[in-house]
Amino acid sequence: MKSLDKMLVEFAQQKLATQTRRHFLMDCVSKVGGLAMAPLMFGCDTGSSAASKGLNLSQRDLNPLAPLPPPFGAKAKSIIYLHMAGAPSQLELFDFKPELIKYHNKPCPDSLLEGRKFAFIQGTPNILGPQANFSQHGESGAWISDYLPHFSKLADEVSFLKAVHTDQFNHGPAQLFMQTGSARLGRPSLGSWVTYGLGTENQNLPGFVVLTSGGKTPDAGKSVWGSGFLPSVYQGVQCRSKGDPVLYLDDPEGMSRNLKRNVIDAINTVNQEEFNAYGDPEILSRINQYEMAYRMQIEVPEVMNINDEPESIHELYGTQPGAESFANNCLLARKMVEKGVRFVQLYDWGWDTHGTDHDGSIDMGLRNKCREIDRPISALLLDLKRRGMLEDTLVVWGGEFGRTPMQENRDGKTQGFLGRDHHVDAFTMWMAGGGIKPGLTYGRTDDFGFSGIEDKVSVHDIHATILHLMGFDHEKFTYDFQGRPFRLTDVEGELINKILA
Amino acid sequence: MINFILPLFGRFHPVLVHLPIGFLVFGVILIFLFGKKYETYSQIIQLAFLLGGISALLASLSGFLHYQNEGYTWDTVKFHLILGILTTLLSCGLWYHLKKAVLTPVHLRIKGAVLLTIIMLTGHLGGNITHGEGYFTEVLPPELQSLLGVEFSNTEPLELPYENWEEIEFYTGAIQPILDQNCISCHNPKKLKGELDLSSFKAIQKGGEEGKILVAKNFEESALFTRLVLPEDHEDHMPPKDKRQPRKEEIALIKAWIETGASDKAKLGESKITERLIEPFFKKNEKPFYPTVEISMLPLDSIAKLRDHGFFAEVIKEGSPFLSISCVNFPEFSDSDWYLLQAAKDQIVYLDFTETEITDAIVEKIAMLPNLTVLKLSKTAVSGAGFEKLVSNKNLKLLYINDTKVGFEKLGALDGHPTLEKIFAFNTSAADSGNYSQFSFHLETGNLNLPPLATDTIVY
Repeated sequence: MKSLDKMLVEFAQQKLATQTRRHFLMDCVSKVGGLAMAPLMFGCDTGSSAASKGLNLSQRDLNPLAPLPPPFGAKAKSIIYLHMAGAPSQLELFDFKPELIKYHNKPCPDSLLEGRKFAFIQGTPNILGPQANFSQHGESGAWISDYLPHFSKLADEVSFLKAVHTDQFNHGPAQLFMQTGSARLGRPSLGSWVTYGLGTENQNLPGFVVLTSGGKTPDAGKSVWGSGFLPSVYQGVQCRSKGDPVLYLDDPEGMSRNLKRNVIDAINTVNQEEFNAYGDPEILSRINQYEMAYRMQIEVPEVMNINDEPESIHELYGTQPGAESFANNCLLARKMVEKGVRFVQLYDWGWDTHGTDHDGSIDMGLRNKCREIDRPISALLLDLKRRGMLEDTLVVWGGEFGRTPMQENRDGKTQGFLGRDHHVDAFTMWMAGGGIKPGLTYGRTDDFGFSGIEDKVSVHDIHATILHLMGFDHEKFTYDFQGRPFRLTDVEGELINKILA
Repeated sequence: MINFILPLFGRFHPVLVHLPIGFLVFGVILIFLFGKKYETYSQIIQLAFLLGGISALLASLSGFLHYQNEGYTWDTVKFHLILGILTTLLSCGLWYHLKKAVLTPVHLRIKGAVLLTIIMLTGHLGGNITHGEGYFTEVLPPELQSLLGVEFSNTEPLELPYENWEEIEFYTGAIQPILDQNCISCHNPKKLKGELDLSSFKAIQKGGEEGKILVAKNFEESALFTRLVLPEDHEDHMPPKDKRQPRKEEIALIKAWIETGASDKAKLGESKITERLIEPFFKKNEKPFYPTVEISMLPLDSIAKLRDHGFFAEVIKEGSPFLSISCVNFPEFSDSDWYLLQAAKDQIVYLDFTETEITDAIVEKIAMLPNLTVLKLSKTAVSGAGFEKLVSNKNLKLLYINDTKVGFEKLGALDGHPTLEKIFAFNTSAADSGNYSQFSFHLETGNLNLPPLATDTIVY
């Protein structure tokens, strides 16, 4: 208590130090003016502030992660988003194009290249036939290649979007676009929007968790799970994929839990005073983060610990405790969603198969990558299904763009390995679970797999659909920033009605 | 050159009509006030009716010209015009009658009252033409409206059949129904706001007071579309701000119709629009997941109290009374804590007791929740004893008993439950034995596996 008094005195002194006679006079002017301005300023409200959205402001201010009801009936309450950073080749996994075999190693027709720009391809590249063997699977007859033997048994659980298109052909901007709805920095990520709108169910865990694997984080950096202009409390919490998921979770020697509580209480009291004085909501975020960190100490070790999982689970997922792996992350994702985490985002790096080396070849490196995710993803879907979690958990899989039907010819030279360049016109994604009609293939590409020719889907459409499943109207879910309401889908986005259950 | 004089004079009608009303009402007031001392005030009373008569004549003339030049139909103005002329004749007549009278005219007040009634009626009919027939009734509460027998033009929203939608006529089958629902309450042959009638293809072609509203294949020039997408607070935005707004899918369809030629005959299939534009209008026979009964909301402070006790408590969507309750942060919840939930008995539709300290005794309590739809009892000590009581949960659809000791024989009690769809019984003895297909619900046993494949270990 004594130390708290001391801190409060220090705080009061600091405050006095900032209060000079000039400040007093300035305050007199600005506050009287403010009184007059207040009603006028409220007139500028564009109608989508927290208050008009029906948020319980006081509750939300004190705890920015307090749960909120979705505006509309939600089909899913959690999301597991599996992002294959680097962009997997749809032509080796899902989009079977026998026509490409015929044209294999022949120059690409000019009609396809006219007026086009690629990240690396120059001049006239050769067509590259599919390097995988395809067959149809399940009652739905979805085409899946032998690169994903386990996953192909779950064909009837997922819905494929075969003609997704984006407008960014470099990894960073494309990842940003896929995750924040804009290729430029500064927008909140999908997970931040959802956490902002719904809060978190488990008050001892963050609402938005990010796990990475593959040895690297996404090219776009942490902005892909950033909160943009939303309060920073809604950004994704990245857990380490090796060792302790969150550092300093254990109490240091000699520091009891109660002592820690006292320290946090003292800091929070001072911060609260600071908030009362300045009213900056970021201070509340700060208080909340201290509280969250304290509470996480109880829950996180339990949730993030996969050592105690039964052997059958390790076999199913192919997990190896202690290692950094996509498999571990899939199991963690299931455990976290089970514990009420709203949004779990997985990034797996290493899908950028240009054919410049062995790892980046679509006949060898890609197969290795596929093997790394095939069992974990299938296990995740199976595990969610048998526990009944697929009823209200949405699983999304995809990259940031697709890959070209042509062999890459970087610098005009033939590559040493088989590889494909970045491709924005058409690629495959799939969704499963909460509110998605299972066993559907939506959209079709042309004979070369170059462009979508039927039921094309944009990145904004996918965002609109995800928000819909979480109980939002993507056109009404806005946040006021710089004088106008902002949306995840900007001014675009159409629901993909056909894939909704 | 002189052509414009008559229409211009016609346009003075809305101004001129107020003059006879003023003069004549004033005259009638004078009669009522000073009828007894008529002789004293005869000159001013006569003047009132003289001016009333002249202005009524001007109003009638301008009104007739207005009718002739502005495209009103005879049906619309008929009674207004006749009564207007009658007013003119009567007021002139009354003035002449007063002027000639030597003594105080008999029944003067009755004559005044008749004239007053007629001019009021004329004015009202005129008002109906400009402001619409429902001008007064519109603002009344709906109950009062139905009492007065006002008919609503509230037609059903557009809905299209999934089968053979290509065969539906674009205009008659889709566009006109959208206009019927959103526009024609003001733009019909009788009301003609902005002189625009949207009730038929022919009328739409004709346009309104600002000219054509439809330019085939050019939606940017077609006010029929552009007015809809103006910002809502723009004065030209249609429908007006305070009226019901069309859905954006409806607007998209109008745009597509204009783009594809705005024909009155083309079928949806012929117009080469994507199915995605039509999809939102397909009839959905989607059954709501949660009950649809109307119950009262739990007071906000009661919900706050539940949260204070440690429950996750939230309504399933904004404005819904139904509650979702979870013990994710309340693992010490036990049977004796049930009383905390008692107040929300009717509102609970989703109840998650996973990993709590409940026992079989709780089942009896749970059975009292009439609207419960999802029940999660995974990782608890429940054994399935008393599950037969869950038959009284008339809305239960999903039951989770993963990682419990519930035996297979206990599930038989739920066989034939009218609403129960799935039981998730992963890692229970119930899942390990018996014939699963015998139940009316789907039993998810979780006995799924991914057997190892040779390719699992090949490194390329």
